[in-house]
Amino acid sequence: MEQQLIRVENLEKLYQDNGVPVRALHEVSLSIGRGEFSAIAGPSGSGKTTLLNLIGALDKPTQGTIYFEGEDLSSKSKKELSSLRLHRLGFVFQAYNLIPVLTALENVEFAMMLLGIPDSERIRRATAIMEELGIAELAHKLPNKMSGGQQQRVAVARAIVTNPSVVLADEPTANLDSTTAHGLIELMERMNKEKNITFIFSSHDQQVLEHARRILVLKDGTLVNEINK
Amino acid sequence: MRLTTVAWRNVWRNKRRSMIILVSIMVGVIATVLMDALSRGMIVQMLENQIRSHISHLQIHRDGFRDNPVIQATIPNADSVENALKAVQGISYSPRVLTYGLISSASNSAGIFLVGVDAEREKRITSVSASLVAGEYLTDKPNEAVVGEALAEKLGVGLGDRIVAMASAVDGHVGSDVFRIVGLFETFSSEFDKSTMYVPIANAQSMLALRGQVSEFALITSDLERLPAIQKTLKEQLGEKYEVYTYGEIVPLLLAVVDMYDQSMAIFYAIIGIALIFGIINTMLMSVFERIHEFGVLKAIGMPDSRLLMMVLLEALHLGVIGTALGFAIGYVLYIPLSHTGLDLRMFSEGLRSFGVGAIIYPVLTWGSVANALLIIPFISVLGALYPALRAAHLTPVSAIRHV
Repeated sequence: MEQQLIRVENLEKLYQDNGVPVRALHEVSLSIGRGEFSAIAGPSGSGKTTLLNLIGALDKPTQGTIYFEGEDLSSKSKKELSSLRLHRLGFVFQAYNLIPVLTALENVEFAMMLLGIPDSERIRRATAIMEELGIAELAHKLPNKMSGGQQQRVAVARAIVTNPSVVLADEPTANLDSTTAHGLIELMERMNKEKNITFIFSSHDQQVLEHARRILVLKDGTLVNEINK
Repeated sequence: MRLTTVAWRNVWRNKRRSMIILVSIMVGVIATVLMDALSRGMIVQMLENQIRSHISHLQIHRDGFRDNPVIQATIPNADSVENALKAVQGISYSPRVLTYGLISSASNSAGIFLVGVDAEREKRITSVSASLVAGEYLTDKPNEAVVGEALAEKLGVGLGDRIVAMASAVDGHVGSDVFRIVGLFETFSSEFDKSTMYVPIANAQSMLALRGQVSEFALITSDLERLPAIQKTLKEQLGEKYEVYTYGEIVPLLLAVVDMYDQSMAIFYAIIGIALIFGIINTMLMSVFERIHEFGVLKAIGMPDSRLLMMVLLEALHLGVIGTALGFAIGYVLYIPLSHTGLDLRMFSEGLRSFGVGAIIYPVLTWGSVANALLIIPFISVLGALYPALRAAHLTPVSAIRHV
């Protein structure tokens, strides 16, 4: 049985939209084991991004509890949550979100710089991961000189270079063509298998969801189905 | 790669905006450097003129003379004072007889400050001999007089003319003598020129029934930093019968003017600083608001709030340091030739003379001024960025990421 990495209990998230309360999540309970390659599926507005933001400690639930490696996230300070994201989480965003003034190599190095890893070690690890992902030739290019697919691969490299426990990817292929999207998901799958990094990604693309070994289906903020392959 | 590298590159994301703020910082620094140098030059010149025209660096009198400068209050033992002064290295000194009196010409009379001097020794400590506009300075010949040109004009006299000087002698009678004008001087103080007359010390002593006695020893040192130590040594050696005062104690207004200058420069810096700080706040706020989404991503990656704050402050520090360095370099390049040629302010010469300052001002840049210019503006830059940096640091990750 896989070790539980993340456990979510009765999660509720309400937010105000122009003064109107909106329920983004309602009584969501789930657990994610170590080494999983899981997807959160659902139409737009179903709460996929909200769920990922809560698991990733980017936001706080209105009600409910989130445990990460057995620790209750609500008991942690802002500084501790920031440290958690730096040391144990990786993020891949729909819009790539690379730092525009840094080269690909520097983008991959960035989190290691925050960790205080020395220059030479940072460059070695960043170069190695970029070679593994087949993007070593992009090392000295700025993001605005790269295609969407290239940028997203660099984003994946950035997310995994610190050996996080979990990588959260919110619609990572939404801005990519189908061939590139397919390639990216295969890449993430390979990293999951080779490095045992847990991946949780959201998508509404059926082709992408086919790669997931477990699919959690959200509808109107509620977990309505779970598919295990 | 360091955080400072990221900050540096962020500065140049919007080149035009950064150039505008850089230029404004440069202009501010140039203005403060030149203003400081010119104002300090005026102050230094004023001090130097006052000291060199008459006051000197240090004066020795009988105790109580300063409060009651009567002719009877002469130096108790001039020889012992001379012996004490001879033992001090790096000074020049001169004995003087001082009194207030009246001089008269054929057409007019005026109240004056009569100064009896040893011409050769007096030349070494004051600049009056170098300020002659006509004639020559006192020599060994008796009954010569050197007066201010303004005083001569008032009396309607010129070179070679005779004037009568009268003053109360030490024994109470009215002493008088006739003098021939051999030189006319014009110093930087119009008030001094209208009221001062120099005669040979022997004539003054004779006229005032002083038997070799003097009122004062005036002293100049080549190293002003030694002045307090010189004062202390002389006080200890001469004892309580004497008073030994520095120029600051003799004319406290001089030091008050210097203080006032320092405070006015502080106000000037504050005005420049306030003007700059608003520009920097505006620039940094715009820069932060444009990058809210990016800051959210940085926080998601795990960047601590403190590092984010530091990054924004570093951006402002880069601008402040570069702007200051360039502004100071330009200011210094402008200062160098001015320090040699001076700034010609002849159109304001009358007003400047009333302050004891010449028409040509030589700017003076001190290490203190350099330090102020190099440190204050970068500090102000960082201060101006503090609010925007705190705004950035306090963003919540999810709302920042959602920001379009």
